[in-house]
Order: sequence, then structure tokens, then C-alpha cells
Amino acid sequence: MSSNLHQAGVKLLKQLGRHADVIMDAYLAGSVSESSHDPAVIEKLKKSGLLWRPEPDQALRLKRSVRALLEEGLSDERNRQIDSNVGSALATIKTLADHYKEARYNVDYSAAEAYLADLSEHVYSFTDSLRYSIRVLWGRINNEFGYVGTVNAKIRENELAQSQVTELLNGLEMFQFSELGEIAGDIRELRRLLMTSLQDTLSYCTQELSVVQGRLLELLGRFRQIQGRTRLLKGWLLHTDLHPDYQPENHVAHNKIPALFNYAEAILKPAHVDISNPHHEFELLQMVAQIKAISRDERIVVPRDTHVTFEMSEAEDFDIPDNPLKVAVDEYFCAIIDSGLRQSALEYLQQQQLDWDSESWLYQVIGGYEALPMEHKQYFELEPIGKPHPVYTGNFIVTDVELWLA
Amino acid sequence: MSSEVYDNDTVLVGAGAIIEQLLRGEFICRVTNEEGWRALKNNSTRERVETYLNQINRTIASAGEGEVFFCGYQQLGEAERKVVSSQFKEICSALIPLVEWLVLVQEASGQDAPLSEGAPIRLTELQARIEDTPAFSEQLTKLSHYRLFGSSSSNVDGQIKLVFKRLVELGYLTKPNAEKQIYIATGKLDYLYEVIRFIDETEGLSLEAQAETATQRELI
Repeated sequence: MSSNLHQAGVKLLKQLGRHADVIMDAYLAGSVSESSHDPAVIEKLKKSGLLWRPEPDQALRLKRSVRALLEEGLSDERNRQIDSNVGSALATIKTLADHYKEARYNVDYSAAEAYLADLSEHVYSFTDSLRYSIRVLWGRINNEFGYVGTVNAKIRENELAQSQVTELLNGLEMFQFSELGEIAGDIRELRRLLMTSLQDTLSYCTQELSVVQGRLLELLGRFRQIQGRTRLLKGWLLHTDLHPDYQPENHVAHNKIPALFNYAEAILKPAHVDISNPHHEFELLQMVAQIKAISRDERIVVPRDTHVTFEMSEAEDFDIPDNPLKVAVDEYFCAIIDSGLRQSALEYLQQQQLDWDSESWLYQVIGGYEALPMEHKQYFELEPIGKPHPVYTGNFIVTDVELWLA
Repeated sequence: MSSEVYDNDTVLVGAGAIIEQLLRGEFICRVTNEEGWRALKNNSTRERVETYLNQINRTIASAGEGEVFFCGYQQLGEAERKVVSSQFKEICSALIPLVEWLVLVQEASGQDAPLSEGAPIRLTELQARIEDTPAFSEQLTKLSHYRLFGSSSSNVDGQIKLVFKRLVELGYLTKPNAEKQIYIATGKLDYLYEVIRFIDETEGLSLEAQAETATQRELI
């Protein structure tokens, strides 16, 4: 049975995948035009219940469940469907819990397990749908109902969302945890599902919904303000058109002047120079004298040095002086070849009484070895001498290297 | 926002610049002077400015739900009343051209909301739309010839440039970048709405209802 179900499900999903463009066309356009698609495909989709015809002379439409799947998957903001039917979900949950208890009482463990799985599925899908509803609401609030054009439409959308929130909140009120507690009794699984998990979600959702409600009211206020202003302007124009000689009453003639019109005269004027005042003449002349005259016309043009001859000549030879340390290392390599014996680098250093720093000597030897061409390198063997770090494993401290002919 | 941030602002801005701006008869809002606006929202700076202004019979007045500040008289004597009355007449005479301009901008840019503080206007776009639609250019010609704008130009380009220049002078718009033809509406526009609403409410004009019935008649 379950393998049949599995196969049928896979077949259905494959069908969805195979005819994805038909389905997306239907999703975006709202309906499928039967003439533009293969009739056999349409027939198949109809048979498997993905498309349906609401009225005999209507075009084919997507089934609600498929639409919902796409809306959720694509986070489509036009989606405003909210499942606020808490009552039926609650009833189902109670019924399943009763089934489970009965099966447990009858010591029918396999049935009990199946019922519990079913119950968990219902509880989780219920909480998921609640959270999803809130997400959808937030999505609509966050883009301020951007999917509709006019302020009036936004106000209507806002009212729809508010009624949905109210319905959801009313639905949530139906949950009586004392009742659920009685149903769960002392059965651990039931208590976990019905009490802990549900309670967490519900309190979270109730909080969230009240925030949503607040934001919706705030937005509504803003929309109303915008709408009010538009109407105010239109009304003003209408009024002045109808009464061409209309003049506002003198609202400032009253004893008490409205605060709005208490607008003081400017007592600071923009600063400017008073050239007709003879007292300022001296200061002004001083200022004028300080102005630097920048005259771009009389800029002295510096003739460019264009008479330098340019000759093509052979590049001179140059050489890079050998690094004495590198030369010394080369000599060390030659000494090894000559003697054919193993010798450590530090021993050689002491023997030859070279005054290189031992560390840079070692680095140069290792470097010299690594820098050898492949065919030369294979004649030598280089082995580091040292010991592992006393405290930290994996660290090897090299104190010397030994070189010999391979 | 913590009070610390406000304290910082106070130190940074200083009351001098704000007092100067207020005495110049300018409106301080978030768009025109955000730092000053923030400082005035802070009680201690506001008090300092207020104390200073009180010495010369001025006070800080605010409009638009406390989002716009301007300078008013503390005590209204005979002389002050005369000034206020003449200012009021000036505002009233400006109402019709300004409202016509607001409606034109809203309709020409196809926007749902009328201009309010912080809304940008791209002059070149607006001009192109007005030039393309004869009804809009007629409206522009009509409103640009009001005394408030005083244009005598016969082409859209000259008219619109002058109207915008005047609106910047009057403080309804700012032009943040001299190189770019982008204007931003200031809080003074919100003040204007409040004035219209005040007149509507005190005189019982029920402008909104008039507009509503007119729209419904249009729909029928």
C-alpha cells in the first residue's frame, strides 16, 4: 500500500516537472488556453487533478493546492490567502488525540504509533500554517501593499488583512490549554505535542499577531492621511472653482490667534555688502585689495625641452654579482661530491670556519638544494636533523641538515 | 534613541545656527536641516533656543505634528498683530496657486499621494510629461501667471523653471545638488496642508466631502 502511494506520488511529481511550463503559464495567467498547448497534455493534467474547470464554459485553472504550493515556494507577494480556520484544525487534533488514547488503552501499539504520527503531522502543519500566515502578513505590510496601485486599493487590502488578523486571533482564542491538558492526561508524548509545542507556538503567534495588528493600523492611518490630503486639495480646487470670489475668513482677527498663523516676520536678512555706506568704504577697499587676481590669459608658457636627441644603441652588458653565501653553499655541495661522504651542514660550516650565521646558512643550504634542477637534485639526499617540539605535537624543530650523495 | 545621541547632536549643532535660521523666517524640518531639526526635538536645546528667542519676544512654533519648526511671536501686541495679519494674507493669496501646482505635480507624475515632506521631484521627467500633455501645459501656463510666480514666459521650459525657482525661494522645495535637477519637498508643504485643513475645519467647507461626491459623480 505504502509503496503504491509512493509510486503514485512520484508519478504525480514527475508530471508536474514534465509540464512545468504549462503549469507556470496557468499560474501566471490565471488560466490555461487550451488551444496553445497539446490537448493530450491538458487532458493528462486534468485527469491527475492538477487542472480543473470551475464552470463548463470557463477556461481551465490550476487547482488551489498547486497554486498554494507555488505561492509559498516562490514567496509570491500577491498571495493573500490565509487559512484562518482554526476550529477545524483544533477538532481534528482533539479527535486524533482521542484515537491515540483509545489505541493505547487497548494496548494496540502499532495503531497508537500510527495515530501519534498522524497527530504530530497535524499539530506541526497547523503551527506551520500559522507561522506561514504571519509571514504572509508581514510580507504584505513590509512592501506596504505594493502589489496594488492606488491608495484606495491599499486601504481595502489593509482592511482585508486586518479582518484576517482578527479572525486568526479569534481562532487562537478557541484553544483552551486546560482542555488540551485534560485530553493529554499524563501521557508524555501527548503532553509534549499538545502542551509544550503548541503552547510555545501559540503564544509566539499571538504576540506576533498583535504587533502585526498595530502595524496595520499605523499603515492605515498613513494611507488615510494621504487620501485625506488628496481629497483636501481636490476639494479646495472644486470649492474655489465654484466660488471664484471666495476668500478665506480673516482667522487672525480674533482675540486669540491660532498658533498655526503666529508666524513672525524675518528679522535677519541675507547678508550683503552695502556699497553706498561711506563708513564702510575703508574696510571694503581693504578687502578688495586683498582679492587675488587670477588671470589665466597671461600664463607664461614654458617651452618644452624637445631638443634632446634620442638614439638607439646596444644595451650594455651587466651582470649580477654572485651572492657570497650562495657561492659558499655551492662549494659545500662540491665538497660533498668530492668526498662522497655524509656531512652535516653545520659541521662543514665549523670545519671551513665560515662566518655565516648558522640559521641563514641552513636556510641557504635547504634553498640551494631545492633550487637544483631535477636531474642534479636526484644525485643528492638531504635530511633534516632535529627533534619534535617537547610540548606541541606535530612541530619538528630542525637544528641541522645532512647532505650526502644518493 | 538614547539621550546620549541627542546630547551629541546638541554639542555638534549648537543653538546659534538654529536661532539664525529661525530668525531668517525659515522653516526647520528634517529635509532642510536635519541636524537642527533633531536638536530642536531635544528638550534641552529647544529650551536654550526658546530662552534666547523669548528675549526678543519670539518663540518656537511647530506644525505638522511637531515635525516642522518656525518662529512666532511670544506676546502679540498691536504691531505683531499687524505683521501676523499681513503674513496670513500672504499665505492665503498663495494658497490657490500652490494647490493648483500640487495637483498638477501629482497628476502629471501619476502619483497616488500628493507631495509631502521628503518626496523628490525630477524636474526633467516632470517637464517632459507636462510637455507631452496639452491639458497639463495649459494648467502650468495658468498657474505660472499667478502673481506668486509671476511668469510671463509662453513656453513650458521657462514657466516651469521659474515656478520651481520661486518655490525654492519660498522654502517649499529644496535643491540638494545644484548640478542636478532634483528637488525635494520640505516640511513647509506639510504646514500648508495644515493651513488648508484649518480653514476647512473652521469655516466648515467640508472640502473632503466635496471631493468625494465629485469623484463619485465622475465614476457614474
